[in-house]
Amino acid sequence: MTALAVSRPRRSSRGALATRLRIVAGVAVSVIFLFPIYWMILTSFKDQVDIFTTPPKFLFTPTLAAYAEYMQRADIVKRLINTVIVATGAGLLSIVVGTMAGYALARIRLRGAATFGLLILLSRGVPPIALAVPMFLVARKLGVIDKHITLILAYSTFLIPYVMWLMRSFFMALPRELEESAMIDGCSRYGAFFKIIVPISLPGLLSTLIFSMILAWEELLFALVLTSRHASTIPVAIAGIAGDTVNGANWAALTAVGTITVIPVVVFALLVQKWLIKGLAEGATKG
Amino acid sequence: MGTVQIRDVRKSFGTFEVLHGVSIDIEDGEFVALVGPSGCGKSTLLRMIAGLEDITAGEIVIGDRVVNDVAPKDRDIAMVFQNYALYPHKNVRDNMGFALRQRRVSKREITERVEEAARILGLEPLLDRKPRQLSGGQRQRVAMGRAIVRNPNVFLFDEPLSNLDAKLRVQMRSEIKELHQRLKTTTIYVTHDQIEAMTLADRVVVMNGGVIEQVGAPLDLYDRPASLFVAAFIGSPPMNFFEGDFVDPTTFALADGTRLKLPVPDPKGRRHGTIGVRPEHFTLEQSGWPATVSVVEPTGSETQITARLAGRSIRVLIRGRTATRPGEAIHLGVEPELIHFFDAAPVPALAEMEDVA
Repeated sequence: MTALAVSRPRRSSRGALATRLRIVAGVAVSVIFLFPIYWMILTSFKDQVDIFTTPPKFLFTPTLAAYAEYMQRADIVKRLINTVIVATGAGLLSIVVGTMAGYALARIRLRGAATFGLLILLSRGVPPIALAVPMFLVARKLGVIDKHITLILAYSTFLIPYVMWLMRSFFMALPRELEESAMIDGCSRYGAFFKIIVPISLPGLLSTLIFSMILAWEELLFALVLTSRHASTIPVAIAGIAGDTVNGANWAALTAVGTITVIPVVVFALLVQKWLIKGLAEGATKG
Repeated sequence: MGTVQIRDVRKSFGTFEVLHGVSIDIEDGEFVALVGPSGCGKSTLLRMIAGLEDITAGEIVIGDRVVNDVAPKDRDIAMVFQNYALYPHKNVRDNMGFALRQRRVSKREITERVEEAARILGLEPLLDRKPRQLSGGQRQRVAMGRAIVRNPNVFLFDEPLSNLDAKLRVQMRSEIKELHQRLKTTTIYVTHDQIEAMTLADRVVVMNGGVIEQVGAPLDLYDRPASLFVAAFIGSPPMNFFEGDFVDPTTFALADGTRLKLPVPDPKGRRHGTIGVRPEHFTLEQSGWPATVSVVEPTGSETQITARLAGRSIRVLIRGRTATRPGEAIHLGVEPELIHFFDAAPVPALAEMEDVA
């Protein structure tokens, strides 16, 4: 009894210390990762003088000047709209094609299916820079340079394998009997897929869609090579502002546009986290 | 018409044949259990009847239609899976009504039939719940409800009770039997549990290694096992076997020289063979086969004795109680009609059989 009374507080204090250490470590890591974002947002509200003050100022009179200037510029707004169109288009196309391909790989017994799947995955190993130039040449020959659809198709080349493999493992975790039951209940394989598998996989589908959209949203290389003005996206604009050798880097503008660009990504990432956890939990119940 | 004919059906996965020509005739309204150790092909056969596996060779006829190339949805069957396979995103009502909605049955009729099935199975208070809010037994019942609203020609059950605990399994077993007596729908039931097969079925099909060992009424299999395998598989605790030579028609010599007096000669007049006696068919006598008691396990209604006979362990089951003590010498008798004769062959491992039982 005495031993218990003595040992218990000691154990709990050791536990509390471990918890505290973990919190400190967590905060430290978060600071390292979040500081650049914080600094970007802070800078976007500074004027040109405050930006270049040393030591850096944490307290200053905030100004919306950079936002006011750049968010009204037609090219920036147009590029934001382009980015939305391309990210949504590429995301949706990839999720439709990739999900169906992933399902086929997960479920349909076909000679060579596993090899085929691996080959598609391997294609992800090709560095994008190696594809960018051939793609540019093909697009020019077809006369589709600087069009939304060109970027959407280009992004699909790396998004579809990604979606396919994510959804394949998701489907493999679902019991096969679900579709079998649906097929006995009166569905064709397509019916079972759309009426049973897709609704069950919705959390996984949505998070994969959002992941894909984030990847498309922030893509720079293909956008740089395949578009010039009409279909150009926001990462290209940021690169342009950062690399402006005529006027020098406009930090206020750069950080303001950067902040605007990052916000949807952060919101999406938070949504994904919520859905992904829900998706995992739902898969575990099996029905 | 819910008749099912299985005609010399074979199944291969690649070059590996798992069913080597199986034929069974199932009558309308019959309850047939397919039983056997895992890997015997029973589930594969059931899935072929359902249309979930292709038929490599042979024919399956449901009613008067060869269904080899008929899609599962057009076979007019319903299936209950071991893991229930309830649709997790639909509530109980929609799970049960799904098949009817696929068949474009009117809303009113769906409601009526789902409620009728729910009443039979005691699911009425649960109709609006999702599968994850149900216990294992309730999910099992929903899976059955989903099958019965269909009013199909044939019910297929694939180890439906394996995921339940022992007590619930016994309860659901009698519910399934009651349901069958009420609906009289042809039922094919796969299980590895010989007790389940014996208690539920009108006829039991014992399978082993992709072939049928024996088909018969439960007690036929128990009384007249056609092979050593069936003899070892059916019955719990399992039958005792002795391999040896027939010195004369009623004297059986074991390997160590022990001679057992047989109450009847082997009808087939073998020189060498295996004899089998069920534990419950031994009687304690003044003279007979000599054995030494090693363990006595009373359960009240019966007493299980483990004894040694000619250096091997045997089991004896005595109704009621006995004053026998470990170390005591006993003499065992067997009624003439309760001794079984087989060709000499390796006895299927008892430990495995017990696991299965």
